[in-house]
Amino acid sequence: MSKKLLLILSLLMVATLVLTACGGATEEAPMEEEPEAVVEEKEEKEEAEEAAPGKTVLNVWSFTNEIRTMAIAFEGKHPDVDVVYTMIPMTDGEYQTKLKASIGTADVPDVVALEAAFVKEWVEADFLANLNELLPLTEELKTFPAVVQVGTHDGISKGFSYQATPGAFFYRRSIAEECFGTDDPAAVQALVADLDKFVEAAATIKECSDGDYYMVGTSAALFNPFLANRAQPWIVDDTLVIDPMLEAYIDFAKVMRDNDYESQATQWSEGWFAGMSDTLVDADGVSKKIFSYFLPTWGLPYVLMPNSGDTGGDWGLIDGPLAYQWGGTWVGAMADSPNLDLAKDFIAFVALNEENLTNWATGVYTNEYLAAIDPEVPEDQAQAPGDFVSSQVVVEKITSSFDGSALYDWLGGQNNYEAFGKAAPKVNGAMLTGSDDAIQRALETVRDSYLNGEITEAEMWSAWLDSVRSEFPDLIIPDPPATE
Amino acid sequence: MENNYRFRTNILRVLVYLILTILLIITIVPIWLLLVNATRSTTEIQQGISILPSVHLVENYRILLSKGIDMFKGFRNSFFVAGASTLVTVYFSLLTAYGIVIYDFKGKKIISNFIIVLVMIPMQLSIIGFFQYMSKLGLTDNYASLILPLIANASGVFFGKQYLESMIIHDLIDAARIDGASELGIFHRIMFPMAVPGAVTLGIFAFVASWNNFFNAFILISSFEKYTLPMLVKTLRGDVYRTEYGAIYLGLAITIVPILIVYAIFSRYIVNGISLGAVKE
Amino acid sequence: MRFRIKRDYYGYLFIAPFIIGFLIFGLYPVYNTFSLSFTDTTLMSKTSEFVGLKNYIRLFADDFFMKAVKNTWLLWTLNFIPQVGIALLLSVWFTSTRLRIKAVGVWRAIYYLPNLLMPAAIARLFFGLFSFYGPVNQFMVQTGLIGEAMHFLQDIAVTQGLVVFIQWWMWFGQTIIILMAGMTAIPIHLYEAAMVDGATSLQMFRRITLPLLKPILIYIFVTSLVGGMQMFDIPYMLTDGRGSPVSSIMTNNVLMYMKFSSSKGHIGAASSVGVLIFIMTTIIALGIFYFLRERN
Repeated sequence: MSKKLLLILSLLMVATLVLTACGGATEEAPMEEEPEAVVEEKEEKEEAEEAAPGKTVLNVWSFTNEIRTMAIAFEGKHPDVDVVYTMIPMTDGEYQTKLKASIGTADVPDVVALEAAFVKEWVEADFLANLNELLPLTEELKTFPAVVQVGTHDGISKGFSYQATPGAFFYRRSIAEECFGTDDPAAVQALVADLDKFVEAAATIKECSDGDYYMVGTSAALFNPFLANRAQPWIVDDTLVIDPMLEAYIDFAKVMRDNDYESQATQWSEGWFAGMSDTLVDADGVSKKIFSYFLPTWGLPYVLMPNSGDTGGDWGLIDGPLAYQWGGTWVGAMADSPNLDLAKDFIAFVALNEENLTNWATGVYTNEYLAAIDPEVPEDQAQAPGDFVSSQVVVEKITSSFDGSALYDWLGGQNNYEAFGKAAPKVNGAMLTGSDDAIQRALETVRDSYLNGEITEAEMWSAWLDSVRSEFPDLIIPDPPATE
Repeated sequence: MENNYRFRTNILRVLVYLILTILLIITIVPIWLLLVNATRSTTEIQQGISILPSVHLVENYRILLSKGIDMFKGFRNSFFVAGASTLVTVYFSLLTAYGIVIYDFKGKKIISNFIIVLVMIPMQLSIIGFFQYMSKLGLTDNYASLILPLIANASGVFFGKQYLESMIIHDLIDAARIDGASELGIFHRIMFPMAVPGAVTLGIFAFVASWNNFFNAFILISSFEKYTLPMLVKTLRGDVYRTEYGAIYLGLAITIVPILIVYAIFSRYIVNGISLGAVKE
Repeated sequence: MRFRIKRDYYGYLFIAPFIIGFLIFGLYPVYNTFSLSFTDTTLMSKTSEFVGLKNYIRLFADDFFMKAVKNTWLLWTLNFIPQVGIALLLSVWFTSTRLRIKAVGVWRAIYYLPNLLMPAAIARLFFGLFSFYGPVNQFMVQTGLIGEAMHFLQDIAVTQGLVVFIQWWMWFGQTIIILMAGMTAIPIHLYEAAMVDGATSLQMFRRITLPLLKPILIYIFVTSLVGGMQMFDIPYMLTDGRGSPVSSIMTNNVLMYMKFSSSKGHIGAASSVGVLIFIMTTIIALGIFYFLRERN
């Protein structure tokens, strides 16, 4: 008996080793043959979730509860559809991992939300459905080009967004008044209209305050803007492209650091936040101020305003030296979804429907409104007005409604919607690729060491290229840029 | 002579208490700073660290509740999963370890080494493959996928084996056999009581591991109703760009409390100096 | 004789649930990781090919892998020695009848607390403490310990030191619990007999405690080694997820995760890192077993 058991066990272990060696293309083949009925049956088994019998079920996954508002509104318009909404956080990558794990299984969702950080990966791969049939709607709604560009790859659109997230330049009016003699947005914009002027302005600020005022929190804030203004993306024809803007950025960062034009407070650190409310104090206990912040649309209500302490009313909003975008949420459909047509309808509703976008941006979706459709909605589920939507048609229609809003007062009498509306068409969304994150983060790491004076510029470039080479073994790496 | 000894002992005790206190401070300070955050607002937290608590505890609690999170259900789910995981881990790990330590059978060495080798396999990457495998078995969104695999918990068996090796008294077992007890009976009625400190230790660790393991839970569980408490805490984000840090810290603090209670109840079984055959305590 | 054999068959019975459980739940993930390491599978593409040892060869083509290995060893060793040393010391004090320390349960519970916290929260806390405008800088400059504010988390020694400290802080309490569980299994009458024979505390420790604790110590060593070689949470979350500064806290698992989460999700390459970590850990651990085996 023991011999037999031993034999079986050894055979199993040998089998394991053999299978391992002959690994090969045994990756689970996508289960395309899964019939619709079985999938829907599974859905209905999930107890207590809003899966009511007789209705078509649409599975939507997202990493926040934002889109749930629109999901409920969608149910309001389509009473025969039941949207089953699943929220999985992306703090530590849970959302992305689960999404990747669901490919080819019966648990694959119909509609997925994709954040800017990983949207391009998905758009460049083959798992999202082709949404080109929705493109005419983007013409109708005059969807901002950057939004469509990000969601498109090789001519196929796979995702659209209900928001546009152009970046802006927020400055302190009182400091502008003190150092430039004016706080008028147009005048300040002229002073920072391009990079050379920006650096000059930085010098002015430093002089006028004896070094107590910094132009920006950190030169890292301009990394994104520089990148958005490249002529070529990171990877072209399997080769890494080091656009001249890269070298310009490094030079710029060095100038900012060596001249103390920046406070060296990393973004999202306490120093960076403290600068927003004028409570920044350096290690010696000396009070410092930060003149400007580079933040996009959502940065205003979620980052700057809540952390601005008593400085409300002392801020202005302009385009700044470079047009860029930051963040955003795209919506796509999984190609394997058994409810593809319904999924496309959902996406069209969320991102390309004038009424929905208008309601979304003007705060029509209050909790009462949503509760009327779905009584079980949580009490804080609602959309406050102010989100900058992706349709130029809608933006122009509602801009004036934001005069006199809280944000208007906070900006010293400026309509932020109007300002973003002007900035949005200028943003170039074609430079993004799925490989951006790794390449850019590798550069940021070594950039800081260089700025601290620990390594030379040449060392920085070669360390960065080594890093990229290691992570992208099939990429052709050019020579590092020349340095003095 | 006796006084000298007592004196030296007392000096030693003072020294020891001093060191214990220093360690205590080092241990507690970071925890205190985190707990204080539960009473501060998101803005305050973003602006820096504080030693003194603030006044936003109630507000954070309100935010916690307003997201449609059913804390009690989360608690119940967590307790169920962690409790079941603990029972499964402790029982089966000790069962297997006992089998390896007490009996001598063909292939024992291979199996024993195999299990220890299993401990060393990094399991992080396999979660995606595991999910797909569970999906084929139809076990996704099912607590079984979290609990049942613990029947074969190599790490637990390893601990059980080392622990039993360090304490097992074969004479007692032989005596029980002579008395006519069945093998399984000996396992349940002789070994378990003797191995209580080890079992409790293993149990506490298994409980904590299960309670705090939410990454895997997120991958394997989908319905909101089944979310455990730590999972619910992680969903506390208004938008991508508006994280309710205050409520999250409060949620984290609340998540720890049940573990502390479980620990407080069971740790007394890992007492000092009690063992079978001892004359006095 | 037959009686003996029949009884030992019970061994199979006892281990059967484990074997079955493993075959159902455990075998697939293990096989999956191993087999993936020989392919060029990425999560974002549908096709994958068997590429033999290419992933492994590539690991040695640049120095990132060796760096990760060195870092991991360094960080683990610096953390492990104080961790076990202090835990052992405290365990002895807590179980010492001579010292009769009060409220052992309370001390032990408090030292265990750090183990219950989420590494993410701890990492964020230390990130905040040591940031350029954070409290540590403020304190050290204003008390004159350093001349001007430092970018602590861009300094290799400080960052590595912080990782070591946090790891120690999180785990020494748990080690105390394991050690004490082991110590309570040692029959008290052994110590009593030794005291009657006039043994000193040190002698009792070396001749009774340590040898009887050997299996537990082996357990602690092996599990700490395995955990150390796979150290991830703190190195990942303390700085930028890439082991900065200059990859000094890039551990094996951080490298593995970087490969896994980079754009295309090179899970094949990531798995090869995992397999090598496994092989390295196994060799060392089996080495330990061999050296410390019971010589009966």
